[in-house]
Amino acid sequence: MRKRALGWLGDAALILYFVFALFPIAWMVILSLKPADQLFSTYFSFSPTLDGYRTVLGDSEGIPFVRFFVNSLVVSVGAVALSLVVGLPAAYASARWRFKGSENLMFTLLSFRFAPELTVIIPLFVLYQKLGLFDTYVGMVWVLQLVTLPLIVWIMRSYFADLTPELEQAALLDGYTRKQAFFKVALPLVKPGIAAVSLLAFIFAWNNFVFPLILTSNEAQTVTVGALSFLGGDRPKYNLTAAAALVSVVPPLLLALTIQRYLVRGLSFGAVKS
Amino acid sequence: MRLALRPYLLIVPALLLTCGILYPFGLGLYYTLFDFSASKPQPDMVRFENYTTVFTQEAFWNSAWVTVLYAVGAALAETVLGVAVALLLHRSTIVGRILEKILILPLMIAPVIAAIIWKLMLQPSVGVVNHLLRPFGLGGVQWTDTPTGALLSSIAVDVWVYTPFVAILALAGLRSLPASPFEAAAVDGAGWWYTFRRLTLPMLWPYVLVAVIFRFMDSLKVFDIIYALTEGGPGDATVVLQIRAYLEAIRFQRYSFGISYTIVLWAVVYLAAMVLVKHLGKIQRKAAEVTT
Amino acid sequence: MIRLSGIRKAYGRTVALDGLELEIRDGEFFCLLGPSGAGKTTTLKTVAGLEQPDSGTVELDGEDMRGVEPYDRGVAMCFESYALYPHRSAYDNLASPLRSPRYRLPAAEARQRIGAIAELLGISALLDRPVGRLSNGQRQRVALGRVLVRPARAFLLDEPLSHLDAKLRQQMRAELKAIGAVQHTTTLYVTHDSVEALALGDRIGVIREGRIVQTGTREEIWYQPYDTEVARAFGRPRINLLPGVVTESGVAADGGVLLPVRARAAPGTDVLVGLRPRDITLHGEGHALTGTVYVTEVLGRSVEVTVRLGTGEQRVSLVAPRADAARLRPDDPVRLVVRPENLLLFEADRPERPGRRIETES
Repeated sequence: MRKRALGWLGDAALILYFVFALFPIAWMVILSLKPADQLFSTYFSFSPTLDGYRTVLGDSEGIPFVRFFVNSLVVSVGAVALSLVVGLPAAYASARWRFKGSENLMFTLLSFRFAPELTVIIPLFVLYQKLGLFDTYVGMVWVLQLVTLPLIVWIMRSYFADLTPELEQAALLDGYTRKQAFFKVALPLVKPGIAAVSLLAFIFAWNNFVFPLILTSNEAQTVTVGALSFLGGDRPKYNLTAAAALVSVVPPLLLALTIQRYLVRGLSFGAVKS
Repeated sequence: MRLALRPYLLIVPALLLTCGILYPFGLGLYYTLFDFSASKPQPDMVRFENYTTVFTQEAFWNSAWVTVLYAVGAALAETVLGVAVALLLHRSTIVGRILEKILILPLMIAPVIAAIIWKLMLQPSVGVVNHLLRPFGLGGVQWTDTPTGALLSSIAVDVWVYTPFVAILALAGLRSLPASPFEAAAVDGAGWWYTFRRLTLPMLWPYVLVAVIFRFMDSLKVFDIIYALTEGGPGDATVVLQIRAYLEAIRFQRYSFGISYTIVLWAVVYLAAMVLVKHLGKIQRKAAEVTT
Repeated sequence: MIRLSGIRKAYGRTVALDGLELEIRDGEFFCLLGPSGAGKTTTLKTVAGLEQPDSGTVELDGEDMRGVEPYDRGVAMCFESYALYPHRSAYDNLASPLRSPRYRLPAAEARQRIGAIAELLGISALLDRPVGRLSNGQRQRVALGRVLVRPARAFLLDEPLSHLDAKLRQQMRAELKAIGAVQHTTTLYVTHDSVEALALGDRIGVIREGRIVQTGTREEIWYQPYDTEVARAFGRPRINLLPGVVTESGVAADGGVLLPVRARAAPGTDVLVGLRPRDITLHGEGHALTGTVYVTEVLGRSVEVTVRLGTGEQRVSLVAPRADAARLRPDDPVRLVVRPENLLLFEADRPERPGRRIETES
């Protein structure tokens, strides 16, 4: 009897936490659907409209939000692609052969994960203006490596390390070259890992705010900075801000739900496997 | 010969890219020895003057204090709440299993967006939070407009975003604990509290500590949430080190001086990491002893 | 033919192979026996080219293999872990060598070949299954099939039967040697099971701490073991090793027991006398020893009898037919018979290493 009461209490506590966790999201949905004239007059009863979204996606506030969205897409995909091409061989090498160079590289990359971003960005701000990379895709993809490369290399190393080298050795004895053994045996086996870590890296790149804030102004600006600009101006446009915020969290949220199973390893940089 | 070279060739691209990131870092370090700013594009060497200025500024110590308060407060609250949520979810009740699927949602929202969301909700006169509190006679809280309120609100947003992070890692830890010690304890008739303190906690601690390390070090360099929520205000109440560095370097365009701030913060984060990771190793060995 | 000479391989400070010398003749089935950590797998991988020795040479059919990549060595290996590709079906695993640039066969021919091998190993019905859904024994067969499916200069088999249960192991042991390909291909078979080595090996090599201690036919290993360790490695129950002292007329052991073995050693030397349990009988011709029964244990049709020799505490085990030993009870007096030619003699004056065998004169 007491046990059952405790069980209910536990569920009640859980529900309480999830109200805290989910209410803000729900409230954003509500805000974004409000017409401009009912923004402050009512809270929960209003006549829902998609005007907020129309305004945001119609660029009618002088904020080219659709372009920001495309920019986010381009720089995030670009950053992940570059990190994959460069990071996969490094992850594989450091999982298979523990040598001094690779260990140093790994720890340098790990230290990027914990370095204050501004340490790198402020000099880049100066440098980019000299090099003409300020407010460009290339500049953003470069600096986003700080986010995506450590993640991809560390996680993929842990996946490769979990793979017994004997599988590739068997392939060598089956008559395949080392390159073929990597592509035909090792790579297909870590494919789910690659997919998961790519999506996670994409999410982190997408969610990044400091880099575009300082290193872009308009052409290459992304949604995170764009959403914030709806808060500016003399009259706060709450419904537009909410709509912009929601639009900009949709891609990461959808992707996140598809990689639930792999999240633990990704979030802990391979320190915890599930 | 080809064989010995292969692993080196494979890491060369990553090495080059890493250098592309290390270069601005080194450049920044170099800049701190000058008085480079927008108003002085031909800087003079000032050696360590930027650093001595940083350390003698009251503003620095204020920022350092705010940063530590923020990081400790956020990491502590997230740990306690996250572990609690994980323990509750670990019971796998029907409610728990449904809620677990959406546990990660706040974590995947960009912190800056989260701050925007909360900013709208915490607005004193028209925000929904005060509206909901009004029936309890608490309708007039000036959330982000008082020094303490602003710091607590920022921490609250951090907690909102990152509690799932701790909960997910702790839950993975709970699920990977071996069953046999618990069965033995149950056979011995050990109570819930005893089992929790003597078995669950020590074995779970390494997982939690991984989460704590990530959270503590990340909150030391918090930027997005505070930038969007309070911009460091009111006054200097929430000017954490990265915000201060941003204001100095980008707003006031005193590049060298701003970078000096970030270098100092970098050193602090690095030291914190060393201490925590060392501690983690010790804890992991201890946990291994409990299981055997 | 496989020849390894002076192979040294160290991982950091751990020396895996320490000047290993080994020669395996053409078409021979050679068993390499040793405890785990002795360097067996490293030896195989060195032959295969998966490990590079720090020094020494590997020759296959007289060719120096230095710098030759694994895929150019023409050897096939069965890993202890099986190393099957978990994301592919049993068929694709078997087909893997036949699709490689090195051993490619036209698809139809490959299908035929795989069919024949699958038939031989009794896995025809499993070919479409993913490897993950096969039992241990089935995986073992697939792994073996991947080795047999293509012609090879040599087969390298790493404890292929060790993960099977006892019954299956025995069955596979019999089947393995009956396979035609195995009969005429040089095979290096690694195991830690002496019964397997004795049953399968044309010759046997005993490896210990990265060196070959002894190679020989099963008779040579059995009757002329290099030292006490080799003697103890073969035969269950283990060989009896009785401490004694060389005298003019034989070896005197505890309890007034005199063993009739003439050593090429000076009187007064400490030695160990080795007596295989199966070489001791309860009646018949030979040297007689007396003692009392200590304990008996029935092993199916025979009985293991442990006897306290003479008046001392020294014990020996022997295996006797059940009919002879059924009525023995503890403390019954008993008379044992040994044939002097079956006695082995080992050094006992060098405590730092296993005692080497001393030549005896009969």
